[in-house]
Amino acid sequence: MTCADDAKRLQVLLVEDSAADCELIQRELRRCDFEVSVDIVQTEEQLRRRVRAQCPDIVLADYNLGQWRGIEAVDLLRAEGLDIPLILVSGALGDETAVECIKRGATDYVLKDSLARLSVCIPRALEEKQLRQQRKRAEQELAAKVEELARSNRDLEQFAYVASHDLQEPLRMVANYTQLLRERYGGKLDKEADKYIAYAVEGALRMQTLVQDLLAFSRAGRKETKMQKVDCNEVLRQILQVLEPTFRESGARILFDRLPTITANRTQLEQVFQNLISNAIKFRRSDSPVIEVSAKSEAGEWIFSVSDNGIGIASEHRDSIFVIFQRLHTREEYSGNGIGLSICKKIIERLGGRIWVNSEPGKGSTFRFAIPAMEATAESKPELVITSHAEYAQSAAGG
Amino acid sequence: MQSTRKVLLVDDNPADADLVQDVLTRKGCCQIEVARDGVEASKYLGSESSDGPDLILLDLSLPRKNGHEVLAEIKLNSHLRNIPVVIFSTSQAPRDIGASYGLGANSYVSKPGNLQDFVAAVNCIGDFWFGCACLAPRRNSE
Repeated sequence: MTCADDAKRLQVLLVEDSAADCELIQRELRRCDFEVSVDIVQTEEQLRRRVRAQCPDIVLADYNLGQWRGIEAVDLLRAEGLDIPLILVSGALGDETAVECIKRGATDYVLKDSLARLSVCIPRALEEKQLRQQRKRAEQELAAKVEELARSNRDLEQFAYVASHDLQEPLRMVANYTQLLRERYGGKLDKEADKYIAYAVEGALRMQTLVQDLLAFSRAGRKETKMQKVDCNEVLRQILQVLEPTFRESGARILFDRLPTITANRTQLEQVFQNLISNAIKFRRSDSPVIEVSAKSEAGEWIFSVSDNGIGIASEHRDSIFVIFQRLHTREEYSGNGIGLSICKKIIERLGGRIWVNSEPGKGSTFRFAIPAMEATAESKPELVITSHAEYAQSAAGG
Repeated sequence: MQSTRKVLLVDDNPADADLVQDVLTRKGCCQIEVARDGVEASKYLGSESSDGPDLILLDLSLPRKNGHEVLAEIKLNSHLRNIPVVIFSTSQAPRDIGASYGLGANSYVSKPGNLQDFVAAVNCIGDFWFGCACLAPRRNSE
């Protein structure tokens, strides 16, 4: 590969105080297959002035320059903010010094009695520089894209949050007053009117739950989620308490193993368990529903499973059920907006995990989710649990 | 005696204001005056001709002057500070609740999203403040 356009000559700057060596090097450069144009400087000041006036493509420097050392040119170039390859040309230096020079930033090192190597070293140095610059450009582009994507995501989440938040008030007005219409005028107008009002009420109420679900979904994606050490047994106990009426009226039974303590956000984990367990109860067959919750450690992950003996899911739906607002049944068959599983997926994936289902229609489903098992890092401090005023006063006082 | 009790309702949403008025009027526990924003509320409370209300129901998101500013004015005014103020707002944000209590609100009730709970909440407010609570006797009835 040529290191210079055919139209352009390679600008070589030679830092050399011996006239004889200058001549030797220039003669060697003329033997190369590329066109060169050579300038010569001796002192640091000359070098500085020269590179400030016009950047060479490459610098060849002698190691011994009387008052200074050629390797210092590397520092000078760096100080000027220039990425110009420097090849040291010198008599025997000794391995240690040579290694030092490379470490300090010289691209290569050619012995004065092997100047023929220049025809190989120079193109190679230039090629390395080109690759280096390409990579730097690619990295910058990537960083810019990532930042743009992050900003776009933030905007979208902000929008979803604000929209669902601001939608609630007018929605409330519609919902309240269509219901009041129904209350005060139901049966007093004609049958058509009753039907219209019924549709309006149904639409308004459904819109209300949709907006609330959207809000919940957008909250599940918000940046500021505190990570804590969470005892999953505690979480499960809490959820079972919340779902107690549902358990009672469905006659459902739950069996669970001892669950681990993991690093996650407690509220979100509660949401995941609540959604999975209440789904398990909701989509039951007529037999008494049985739900099993367990966890196992595998390859650096905790794999939780919630399985039921309910109606099951056909395999062609096993991905779409996790999509927001996707429902497999009509509203008459089962209530809900189809948001529970999409919230679970969002939460689990933000924790670096994944969620999936194994199921057969008529035979029940097993939902599994995996969460990487991580130790509490320095950033996630354990949550302070206050159990009494005395403890709070003590902790506030730094006790 | 009970029907001479007066409530100042400060809410810029006429749909909500009408509903509150409806519920409390059916209860027969009080008369209701409505102010549409903080400036109207201040004017009403400041005027010499009005006897102070027995209870103030105050929304937070009001145009021109917001609920917290009105609340602060009331609680810093020696003539008005003993009137109980119930914040009745859609906001469930802890900082709004905290700020309200910090400014001296007597109670904070968040407006429920559905009709039944909304009506129940207003009924509760009426029952408590005009049934259980001991409000100061009205100045003009002594």
